[in-house]
Amino acid sequence: MLSKLLKHEWKSVTKVLFPVNLGIILLTIIGSIILSTELFDSRESFPLALFLLILYALSLMSFTFITMIYVYVRFYKNLFTAEGYLMYTLPVTPIQLFHSKFLVGCFWCTFNSLLSVLSTTILGFCAGFHAAATDNMNNLVNFYLDGALSDTMEKTAETFSFSDAFGYSPAVFILMLLLLLLTCCVSSVLMGYLSILLGQLIEKYKLAASIGFYIVIYLATQTITSLVMLIPNLHLLMSELEPGENFMSKYFINFFPVTIVSQMILSIIFYLASHLLMRRKVNLD
Amino acid sequence: MTLIECRDLTKKYGSHTALSNINIQICRGHIIGLLGPNGSGKTTLIKLITGLLSPSAGAVYVNEEPVGVKSKNLISYLPDHTYLDKHMRVRDVMDFFEDFYQDFDSMRAYDMLNKLDINPNHKLKTLSKGNQEKVQLILVMSRRASLYILDEPIAGVDPAARDYILNTILSNYDENASILISTHLISDIENILDEVIFIQNGAIHTHASVDDLRLKDHKSIDTIFREVFKC
Repeated sequence: MLSKLLKHEWKSVTKVLFPVNLGIILLTIIGSIILSTELFDSRESFPLALFLLILYALSLMSFTFITMIYVYVRFYKNLFTAEGYLMYTLPVTPIQLFHSKFLVGCFWCTFNSLLSVLSTTILGFCAGFHAAATDNMNNLVNFYLDGALSDTMEKTAETFSFSDAFGYSPAVFILMLLLLLLTCCVSSVLMGYLSILLGQLIEKYKLAASIGFYIVIYLATQTITSLVMLIPNLHLLMSELEPGENFMSKYFINFFPVTIVSQMILSIIFYLASHLLMRRKVNLD
Repeated sequence: MTLIECRDLTKKYGSHTALSNINIQICRGHIIGLLGPNGSGKTTLIKLITGLLSPSAGAVYVNEEPVGVKSKNLISYLPDHTYLDKHMRVRDVMDFFEDFYQDFDSMRAYDMLNKLDINPNHKLKTLSKGNQEKVQLILVMSRRASLYILDEPIAGVDPAARDYILNTILSNYDENASILISTHLISDIENILDEVIFIQNGAIHTHASVDDLRLKDHKSIDTIFREVFKC
């Protein structure tokens, strides 16, 4: 039955979130085209460039916001409003209902984050390449044409290698980034679900209570994760760098594992709490 | 054979008792009217049987099993409001029911849609309220369920639609199945009822066969109801 729930959940959610995420792809294509023109070559075009940059950042944030909010709204509306009368009378368990929404929600949030990272990377690449080509910086043009990763992997006398700059080889860095996106998305989805489930424990104003719980949990997790990150960062600031080391690489070496592990722990806590609440006896208004 | 059994069923909302010590048995092959004024506890009882509410005390058994996945397979439930995602097409809702209920007869459902001139490709939100209710009724009555629970199926529709709904109910249920209909429009349905349950202030007032009640009082069920629940 879980596969059937997943099929219908996927169909319903994709109908809304596919066009939203298509917006990011279109935004990236339009941005790449604009960046390859001579529109920003003169100093006079700086205000226009700044305006478009802000517009791009706001659009990207809106698409991410819409995706996350829709995942939460879908969970609430489908299980705890009139639609819940259909979902809870299906011959499935509440846990199967929860898992179907959780898996589809996590997929779309991760996909959205991945698209956002790809979009900024592509636009950054386009802007850098155009600037290098316009200024006749042959080395830089070759760098872009030959492939950024292969060139930066080899350390030269003048430049840091990718590993020196970021503390990881490009492949490991990308893997770490993907893991980070995945764990952050899973914990964010579960945090929303947990808030909604906690709101159902309140007799009146359940939706307002859910929003209240979300704010409280969000502030608590932000405080905890900031404190967790503070310890290695303080240690880094107070320690002396050895020759050949740089601050950024040491920062990334700490940042990825600490953030990924803390998000994983939060996800496990949120999942167990949500699981427990979903197993409670149903009481639909 | 007993299809539903409520044992000392109680439901409280905080300090308010919505249902108190309900003990009823519903057998197969009967059409039962669950009758009572607004706020008497009809919908609460239905929601407890369908598993949308959990009892404060006592228990409900469907086919001798507690309410759960198995009982939900046996019950076809029509709530008193629209419970479908209105952004879905009628065809998608049919697919949804076909996927989850093995006893769903899609041929019968499409045939009923066709007779009512409802286009399966239309989105639910584009249909009138009456047609949305009919789609929901078609979905519920196209199952070969053991128990149909219909909460106010004829409230809010015109008399012609009422006739259609009642005909649909009567012509589509299995002889071994039971139908529990909650309504306060008694005169419209009393001719199809085998039994009635009068519910008042969260307690069972009367549970008897329609024929017995009529013979005893020489009055229609509608008249008896009006006398029992006179304000």
